[in-house]
Amino acid sequence: MITHEDQLELFKLISDSIAKDMECWAFGGNAMMFYGYKDETKDVDLLFDHEEDRAEFIKALEKLGFWETGLSNIYVPEKLKDKYKPLMYTRYDIRFDLFVKKVFKTAISPKMREDVYAVHDFKGKRNLRIKVLRKEFIVLLKSVTERDKDFEDILTIAKKDKRFDWQYLIDEVIWQHQHGDNLVLLDAEKTIKELKKYVFVEQKYLKQLYAVLNKR
Amino acid sequence: MKSDNSLRKLEGLHTAETATERLGISRQSALNMLSKLKKEGYVTVSGGGRRKRLYKITMRKQRPREKGMFDIINKYSPMKIAEWYDHQVHGTYGPEEALVDALQTNSFRVILASMRLFSHITDWSKLYRLAKEKDCWQKVGALYDVARLSFKIKRMPRRYYHNGHGRWRKLSQLKKKNFPQISEKWHVYIPFNQKDLEEMR
Repeated sequence: MITHEDQLELFKLISDSIAKDMECWAFGGNAMMFYGYKDETKDVDLLFDHEEDRAEFIKALEKLGFWETGLSNIYVPEKLKDKYKPLMYTRYDIRFDLFVKKVFKTAISPKMREDVYAVHDFKGKRNLRIKVLRKEFIVLLKSVTERDKDFEDILTIAKKDKRFDWQYLIDEVIWQHQHGDNLVLLDAEKTIKELKKYVFVEQKYLKQLYAVLNKR
Repeated sequence: MKSDNSLRKLEGLHTAETATERLGISRQSALNMLSKLKKEGYVTVSGGGRRKRLYKITMRKQRPREKGMFDIINKYSPMKIAEWYDHQVHGTYGPEEALVDALQTNSFRVILASMRLFSHITDWSKLYRLAKEKDCWQKVGALYDVARLSFKIKRMPRRYYHNGHGRWRKLSQLKKKNFPQISEKWHVYIPFNQKDLEEMR
């Protein structure tokens, strides 16, 4: 487990080790810590726009004693065949899941790029910029990754945030579907149906998903 | 769990009195509860002394913030900017860095407000290096000249005061040459007019 303070320290150390300025997107438990939804997380999920940036980040992680590990016990088998599966680095019980360009089939949409929640610049020898996605996108990407505690995290966000914009989430799901992610509708539908057992979500949002599914 | 329920009831801005009323407990118990929640990071307090003490209560933990671009601009500029994302910098950050970051936003208002930062630039070589790294020295030069027209600012050392004749750059989306001499000198389109500058005085 890594705490918020440890995470900040770790990013600071990484910014001292990288050889060029770079930026990446935070969308997992680490993003939730930036929000204040939780205090510690097991996995630090980062998405890079460029392969070279991820390679440079990995070099820095290896200098700090992290090593590459397998994905098999973490992700469901069909995700392991995906071209955009992450590289995973670990040290003790801290794990980095490092994606490039896409989180499996889900890409960073123009809306995600434009509408970030926070930007954290870690200024060491070089600048490491972590862009924290909006909570709706975090929920979307957590429905896509489908790991052990992902649903628990989604539930935490839905319970703690009165201003969660369901329409914003649905719009993004539909955009992702229209741009090549053929599983996102099903993942989102499954998550919302499960969530309805714990929090109130209006049926109209599911209806919008079904309307798109029926058009397929 | 008990804290969770109290948080849900209290979420928002409160005084000791409104919190007492909302929780339906004695004033002392409400203050104890607020103090406990503050220790856990869910409450921040403002006011005190002559002013009424206000408790900001959220369901999420309120993390301590580091200063970012918007904080620096809003500290020095008479024109305040409403931030559309939370920018924080972990490390050294001052007017030089904030000015270069402001130019990267391409936002009319942010760049206009950032003009005031020239009054607080102390390390011109740092500003030059940072701007060169981000390939925006022409923009810095043009903004400096426009800023000098409207208010008193520190003089830029002569060795940095050159444009290098790069290609034409835009400060914002607007392709206007409102101060033609400065525009031609730095090869930068300047979207601001005299009225915009008056807001900055």
